[in-house]
Amino acid sequence: MSRSAEPLMSLSGIRKVFGSNTVLKGIDLDLYGGECLGLVGDNAAGKSTLSKVMSGAYIPDGGEIRLGGEVVHIAGPGEARRHRIEMVYQDLSLCDTIDVAGNLFLGRELSRGGVLRKTEMLQKGRQMLDALDIRIPDMRAKVAMLSGGQRQSIAIARAASFAPRVLLLDEPTSALAVAEVEAVLALINRVKAQGVAVVLVTHRLQDLFRVCDRIAFMYEGNKVAERRMEDTNLDEIVKLIVGGNRQEAAALDRMGAGS
Amino acid sequence: MSRHATIPAPSRSWHDFLIEHAQVLSITVFFVLCCLLFSILSPFFLMPDNLLNVLRQMAPLLVTAVGMTFVITTGGIDLSVGSIVALTNAVCALALQAGLPWPLATVLVLILGGIVGLAQGWFVSYQKIPAFIVTLAGLSILRGIALLLTKGYSIPIDEPSAAPLLAIGRGWIFGFPIPAILAIVILAIGAFVLRETKYGRYVTAVGANAEAARRVGIPSARILTSVFVLTGITSALAGLLIAGRLGSGSSNAAEGFELDVIAAVVLGGTSLLGGTGTILGTVLGALTIGVIGNGLILVHTSPFLVQIVTGAIILLAIWLNTRIFGRLSAGRKG
Repeated sequence: MSRSAEPLMSLSGIRKVFGSNTVLKGIDLDLYGGECLGLVGDNAAGKSTLSKVMSGAYIPDGGEIRLGGEVVHIAGPGEARRHRIEMVYQDLSLCDTIDVAGNLFLGRELSRGGVLRKTEMLQKGRQMLDALDIRIPDMRAKVAMLSGGQRQSIAIARAASFAPRVLLLDEPTSALAVAEVEAVLALINRVKAQGVAVVLVTHRLQDLFRVCDRIAFMYEGNKVAERRMEDTNLDEIVKLIVGGNRQEAAALDRMGAGS
Repeated sequence: MSRHATIPAPSRSWHDFLIEHAQVLSITVFFVLCCLLFSILSPFFLMPDNLLNVLRQMAPLLVTAVGMTFVITTGGIDLSVGSIVALTNAVCALALQAGLPWPLATVLVLILGGIVGLAQGWFVSYQKIPAFIVTLAGLSILRGIALLLTKGYSIPIDEPSAAPLLAIGRGWIFGFPIPAILAIVILAIGAFVLRETKYGRYVTAVGANAEAARRVGIPSARILTSVFVLTGITSALAGLLIAGRLGSGSSNAAEGFELDVIAAVVLGGTSLLGGTGTILGTVLGALTIGVIGNGLILVHTSPFLVQIVTGAIILLAIWLNTRIFGRLSAGRKG
């Protein structure tokens, strides 16, 4: 699926200050439906802060967020969810002692008069997983009994199953075994194919080539470059992330911008 | 993982079943063993009268243990239940003595329990003071209030109009003790709410991962407060049952009660870390404690032995539990 013509979410001049430390120094970023944007940068470059601003966990100190062209103020994670922005956190927001179906519907349980409709949640949960081609043999297994990859898949499926416009993934593959990484990356591609704007925050550069269409590079609170996947290579990506030589990075950026 | 490495076993294997229900299974085995042992040692143990008597005596503990199961499932603890029982027990007798009709006194006492729970829950969830501290303070304050109100005397409930309340504590219906019937009803409601309702699911979710629960929009603070209201109300009901059974209200009622309640819940496999709790386990845990107490008396051992054996059994059961549970989970990973 090709990306949407208009950006689904558009950030301009986003600033975030913690005390005397300006963590985001005016970020502009457009997210398109059906496209995966890789957000990369060294530690403390501001990529996690930026994703938290987008998910409503932080309120920016300056700048504008537009959703479908309209300016919005996102005052918290609950409000972000109402705008259909979902985030999957690195540290897995699952409840270990609740079963797979229960976790998929956590906070949005199907109920009648306060009584859970467990059979319906089992069926619909199964459909949610099937739609994303996720294989979990037992919907009633406690999440604690599953592998890291299965758990990550469930977390992503939960976020992806409620028709999000924007799906933010923070390091979804960093703690997984090789085969599990493959499955999660395939899952990201399927979510993207549904027209969702996916943002992938990651340290694993090899993942970028598997799922991303575009990469935004963060360095010390600035977005220093943006590349389409087909216009770049691993060497350039590493250089832009390390950003040791800002002149060189800027030069590369000007070259890249021409294409 | 998704396409290739699915678990080869059938979807609900015996092994999974064992791991998931290890705690409830082990307390069941323990309970059955205790019953077997005492039925061999004493011819009276299995007589219906004796068993019903155990159930009748256990009723206040069973009722309070329902509330406690909810609190411990959220990862909290309530040490004040014994003091709430004493306070409500004393207030009930005082209210009747002051001429209040018994239905009004009953409602008043239940509301009092709820308010006490609400106050403690507010300190725990909105002021972020550890439940252990808040309810330890409650344990001291509430029994102190009960002592102050009664001046340490036992208040008799001898008003003829209060007869129905006495019946709740000591009456029989169709050959079955009324307090036991009440306890069974409360247990059934508790089990249903914890397993089958949205509220019960939220209680489990807050205990399993409070941060995850908050992120998906579950009102964690309100849930955390509400479970203390539950222990408050169930303790008040226990206070009424004791008032009815003894025909008096006393600030010295239910000393050490909180420890028995917590022991029953924990024996039943509810994790002190939160996230796992079953009412069925709690029932079995409470009955095990009750049967041990009853059985040791029937076989004419020293009554002081009861405490020692109960403590030892708790330690042994939990120890076995973690060993078995730990081994099974390790087997799963390897």
